[in-house]
Amino acid sequence: MSIDGVSGRTSYLGSSLINIKNQLDTLTEQLSSGKKTTTYAGLGIDAGTATGLRAQISTLASYADTGTLINTRINVANLSLQGMSDSASTVKAAAAGTTLTLDNTGKTAGQTTAMASFTQMVALLNTNAGGRYLFSGRATDTPATEPADVMLNGSGTRAGLTQLIDERAQADGTTGLGRTVISSPTPTSVTIGEDAAGSPFGLKLSAVTTTDANATVTGPASPAPGDPLEMSVDLGATNPSDGDKFTFTFTLPDGTSEKIELTASSSTPLPAGSFAIGADSTETAANLNSALNTAVGTLANTALVAASAITASDNFFSSSPPQRVDTSTNPPVALRDGTQTDTVFWYTGESGSDPARGTAVAGIDQSISVQYGARANEDAFVTALKNIAVYAAVTTNASNPNANGQLTALDSRIVDNLAVHTGKQSIQDIQADFAGAQTAIATTKDRQTQTGSIAQSMLDSIQGINDNEVATKIMALQTSLQASYQTTASLYQLSLLKYLPAP
Amino acid sequence: MGLSQALSTAMAGLRANQAALALVSSNVANAETPGYVRKTTNQVETAVGTGAGVNVAGVNRVLDDYIQSQLRTETSGAAYATTRANFLSNLQSVYGDPDSSATLEAAFNALTTALQALQTSPESQSARTGVINAAQAMAQQLNSTSQGIQTLRNSAETGLTSAVNSANNALTQIAKINKQLLNFPAQDASTAALLDQRDQYITQLSQLMDVRVVAGDGNQVSVYTTSGVQLVSGSDAATLSFNTQGNVTPSSQWSADPSKSTLGTISISYPNGGSIDLVSSGAIRSGSIAAYLELRDNTLVQAQAQVDQLAAAMASALSDTTTGGVAYPPATPAPAPGTPSGFDLDLSDMQTGNVIHLTYTDTTTGEQKNISIIRVDDPSVLPLKDDATVDPNDKVIGIDFSGGMASVVSQLNAALGGANIQFSNPSGSTLRIVDDGASGLSDVNAASVTTTASSLTGGGAQLPLFTDGGNLYTGAITSAGSQQVGLAGRITVNSALLADPSRLIVYNTNPTTPSGDTTRVDFILSQLTTGTYSYSAKTGVGSNATPYKGTLLGFTQQFTSLQGNAAAAAQQLADGQNVVLNTLQKKMDDASGVDIDTEMANLLALQNAYSANARVMSTVNSMFQSLMQVL
Repeated sequence: MSIDGVSGRTSYLGSSLINIKNQLDTLTEQLSSGKKTTTYAGLGIDAGTATGLRAQISTLASYADTGTLINTRINVANLSLQGMSDSASTVKAAAAGTTLTLDNTGKTAGQTTAMASFTQMVALLNTNAGGRYLFSGRATDTPATEPADVMLNGSGTRAGLTQLIDERAQADGTTGLGRTVISSPTPTSVTIGEDAAGSPFGLKLSAVTTTDANATVTGPASPAPGDPLEMSVDLGATNPSDGDKFTFTFTLPDGTSEKIELTASSSTPLPAGSFAIGADSTETAANLNSALNTAVGTLANTALVAASAITASDNFFSSSPPQRVDTSTNPPVALRDGTQTDTVFWYTGESGSDPARGTAVAGIDQSISVQYGARANEDAFVTALKNIAVYAAVTTNASNPNANGQLTALDSRIVDNLAVHTGKQSIQDIQADFAGAQTAIATTKDRQTQTGSIAQSMLDSIQGINDNEVATKIMALQTSLQASYQTTASLYQLSLLKYLPAP
Repeated sequence: MGLSQALSTAMAGLRANQAALALVSSNVANAETPGYVRKTTNQVETAVGTGAGVNVAGVNRVLDDYIQSQLRTETSGAAYATTRANFLSNLQSVYGDPDSSATLEAAFNALTTALQALQTSPESQSARTGVINAAQAMAQQLNSTSQGIQTLRNSAETGLTSAVNSANNALTQIAKINKQLLNFPAQDASTAALLDQRDQYITQLSQLMDVRVVAGDGNQVSVYTTSGVQLVSGSDAATLSFNTQGNVTPSSQWSADPSKSTLGTISISYPNGGSIDLVSSGAIRSGSIAAYLELRDNTLVQAQAQVDQLAAAMASALSDTTTGGVAYPPATPAPAPGTPSGFDLDLSDMQTGNVIHLTYTDTTTGEQKNISIIRVDDPSVLPLKDDATVDPNDKVIGIDFSGGMASVVSQLNAALGGANIQFSNPSGSTLRIVDDGASGLSDVNAASVTTTASSLTGGGAQLPLFTDGGNLYTGAITSAGSQQVGLAGRITVNSALLADPSRLIVYNTNPTTPSGDTTRVDFILSQLTTGTYSYSAKTGVGSNATPYKGTLLGFTQQFTSLQGNAAAAAQQLADGQNVVLNTLQKKMDDASGVDIDTEMANLLALQNAYSANARVMSTVNSMFQSLMQVL
C-alpha cells in the first residue's frame, strides 16, 4: 500500500517496512495455525487439487465407517446363523436318538428339545443389530417373523400351525382309511380307490403287484374319465398258493412312499401281514379285503399322520399365503389360500422375487458393493423351521395303539428332512455368502487405508506448512526488519539540523 | 550619490533575504504536508545607478509536469487494482477457509457422507435426520454464499455513491480554484498555494477515475476523462450523479435502458444543460469507480452465476427424469409403407421450464439437428434465445403452454412445419411427433421429455429434495428472468421432507416402500457424486461452444479455483501497481518534496547573506557618520 499524508521519504521507507511487517504477520499466522492459508486464493493453483483430495478423504472416511458397520452387522448375522445351524443339528440328533416315551403333554423328550430349539431359532431370525432386523429383507424396521407361540398356536381369529396340522389330519383321513375306498366289484376281486378325483388329501395310489400267477392286477387307473383312480386284484377262479404276495404301494402327501404287503397263508395262527387262504378264491378274496382294510387303516393312522403333519407344516411355512384345508365341501377335496384374518402369516418381512442377498447392499468403494441381505423365508431357513416346528407341534395320544408307529414315522422323516441335501440351499451356504462379503470389506479397507494416507499427505503438502521453512523465513524477515528499522532511524538522524549551532 | 545607493541596495538585499527566509520556513513547516510542492523565490537583479539591486519577482514551484501526469495515471490504476483486490479478497472469505467446515465443498462432502450412512442404515431415523440436516447445511451454505456475494455487490453500489460524492466535491473545488486564479494572474505565494491545492484535488479525482489534465492560459486547467468526457472547464464543473437503487439482489442488473435497469448508473450533467450516461458509454476506465462498476456488473455477477448454477444443477439432478418417446406407429400391425413415423410423448407431467428434446435428420443434407422445446407459461418472454439451454448445438423453441394442447400443437407446427416435422395431439396430453412419411425429406431420430418430479412419493426415485424457497425448481423462464438467477440465495430443503424424513426412503405409498429399500438413496448418491452435467458458460467455466461437463464436485472445484486464482492475480496486480506508484511517488518527492538538509543549507546561506547585507548597511551608516562629523 502506498502511504498518503506524509511526505515521500516517510512513504517509501514506511511502505517497505509495512510490507515486511505484513509478511512477518502472515508467516507467524502460518506457524501458529500450521496451515498455509485460510483462503482458496492462498492455495494458488493447487486449490482444485486440494478440493478433490478433501472430497476423496471424506469419501474414504465414510467408506471406512460403512465397512465397520457392515462388518458388525455381518458378525451379528453370523452368530445368528451359527445358532440356527446348531439348533437344527440338535433337533436332528434328538429325533434320531429319541426314546418313544410320551410325557403328560403327549410329547417325547426329543419334541420338547425341538420346542426349545424352535423358540430359539425364531428369536435368532428376529435378531436386531442396532435397530435393524437382519432377516426381514428390505423391511429392516419390521421383525422378520411372528413370535414362535403365535406361529404354533395362532392368535385371536388367526389359526396357527397346530390347528392346520389338525385340520389336515382330518382331511387326510388319518382315523379312517386315508381317504380310500375298499370294495369288491366281483366276488373274487378286491378294489381300492381314492375317494375323490384330484384331491390332494390322503393316500395316493401308486402301484399294485402280485407274485400269484393266477391273479390279475389292474391300475392304478380311472374307470372312466374324471373318476378317481382305482387299482384292483382279481384272484380269478384259482386260489393263491401259500406265500403268494400282494403288494399295494401308496404315495403319502409329503412325497414319501409306503407299501402294504399282504401274504397268502394257510398257517394258523395267521402271521402278521398275512391273509388266510379260504376254501375258494371268493372266500380268499374276502379275507384279502379284510386284511387290506386293517393294513390301510393302520397305515393311515401311523405314517400318514406324520406325513400329513409335515405337509401341513410345509403348506404353512413354504407358501405365502399359507395353504390350508378348504372345508367348504365334506369331505374336503382342495386346499385354499389362508387370509390375513383367519391364518397366521408367519413371515412378516419383505418378500420379493429377487435374490435375498441383494436386499441390503452397501457401497464400500466407488465401484465395489457388498450384499448382505437375508430373508427369513429363504429355503434354508424354511426347511429348518418347518421341520423343527412340526416336530415341536405334533402331540401323540399315548393310549393309541399306533402311537409308537406315529412317532417312529415322524422321527425318521425329521431326521431325513434336516439332513443337508445336494442342490438345496443350506444355512452354511448363507454363511459362505457372508464370509465372502467380509473378505471383500477387509481387502477394500486395507487398500483404502493406503489410498487415504497418500491423499492426506498430499493434502498436507498442499495446505500445510514446513515448520522449519517458515521459522527460517521468520528469522530472515526479523533480521531484515530490524536492519531496516535501524537504517531508517539512522537516516532520520542524518539531518543538517543536528549539526547547526543553536542560535 | 553612492552611499545612499549602497544603502538602498543593502535594504533590497535584506528584503530579498527575508522573503527567501519566509519560503525556507514555509518549506520546512510543510515538509510533511501532502501535495506541498517546494517553493523557491524568483529573484531578479535591478539596475540601480552604477550597481544592481535585487528584487523578488515571484515564487517558483519546483515541479516536474511529466512525473506529475504519470503519477496521476498510476494513481488511477493503483486505486482500480487495490479496490478490486480488496473485494476479491473479501469474496474469498465468503467462500470460507478451505480447511474448515464452512465451505461449499465441506457441506457437499458432509451431505454425501450422510447419504452413505443412510444407504447403509436406511431404516435408521437418525441417519435420515442426518441427511436432512446435511442437506439443510448445504442449502444454507449456498444461501450464505449468495448473500455474501450480494453484500459485496451492495458495498460496490454504496462505494459508487460515496465515490461520486467525492468526485463532485473535487470537481467543484477545481473549478472554484480555477476561478480564484483568474483574479491572481501573478506568480506569487498565494497563487502557488492555490495551485498546490488544485493539484491535490486532481490527485484525489484520479483515485476515483482516470483523468487527463490540460493546462490553459492564466493558470487555468481543464479536466477530462481519458475517454474524452469533459469534467471541468475553467470555472465550470460538471456534476456527476448516481441514482442508487436500494437493496441489491441477484436479479438486480444494470441495463443501458433506464426502465429495465435495477441498479444505479452514473450520469454527468453540465451547467449549460446536457447529460451523458457514463456507464453505458464506458467513459470511466480506471480508478475505484471503474473497479466498483466492474465488480458490481461483471465479477460478482459471475460469482453469483456460479453458485446459482451449482444450486440449479443439484436441484435438477435429483428431481428431473428424462422419458423417451414411444415409437409410433406400433410395429404390429405392420404400418402401410409411407406412413409417417415418429414418437408419442406424454406431456402430462411437464412443468414450466421443462424441455422436450427432439432429434431429426434433414435427409436432403443428411444433417442431424437437435431441437429443444421449452415450456413457458408467459408468452411475453418469447421467442427464446438458443442460449436458454446449455447445449451449444441445439435450436431452442419456446412454446406457450397456457393455451392448452391445441395451441401447443399449432405453435409447434408453425415453428417446425418448414422442417417437415409434423406435430399432433391424438389424445389427452400426448404429443405425437412424426416425419413427413412418403416424401422422405426428414426422419425423426429420437424424442424425449424431461420432467421435474413434484411429489415425494411419485413412485420414482426422483424427488424435489431442494426447492426454490418452497416452490418447485423447474428452470422456468418468466418475465422476471430465469428461475436459476439467485436460486442459490433461495434454495431450501423441501418442507414436506423436513416434516417427514422417511420420504428419503419411501418413494411409493401403494405398496409402501419397505424401510430397508435403498433405491432412492442410491439414486441421490449416484446423481450427486458420479452424475455428470453441463454447466452454463455464464459461470466463466467452459465456453459457449464447449460447455464444461462434469460432476457437481468437479464444477465446485473448477469455480472455487477460478475465484481463488482471480483473487490471487488481482492481489499480485495490486501489489505490482503499488510498487510502481511508490516509485513514482518517490521520484515526485525527490523533485518536488522538501529536503530539510537543502533548506538548512539555504538557511545558513541566507543567514550569512543577511549578516553581510546588514554589515554593508552598518558600514554605510558609519561612513555616513564619519561624513557628518567632518561637516
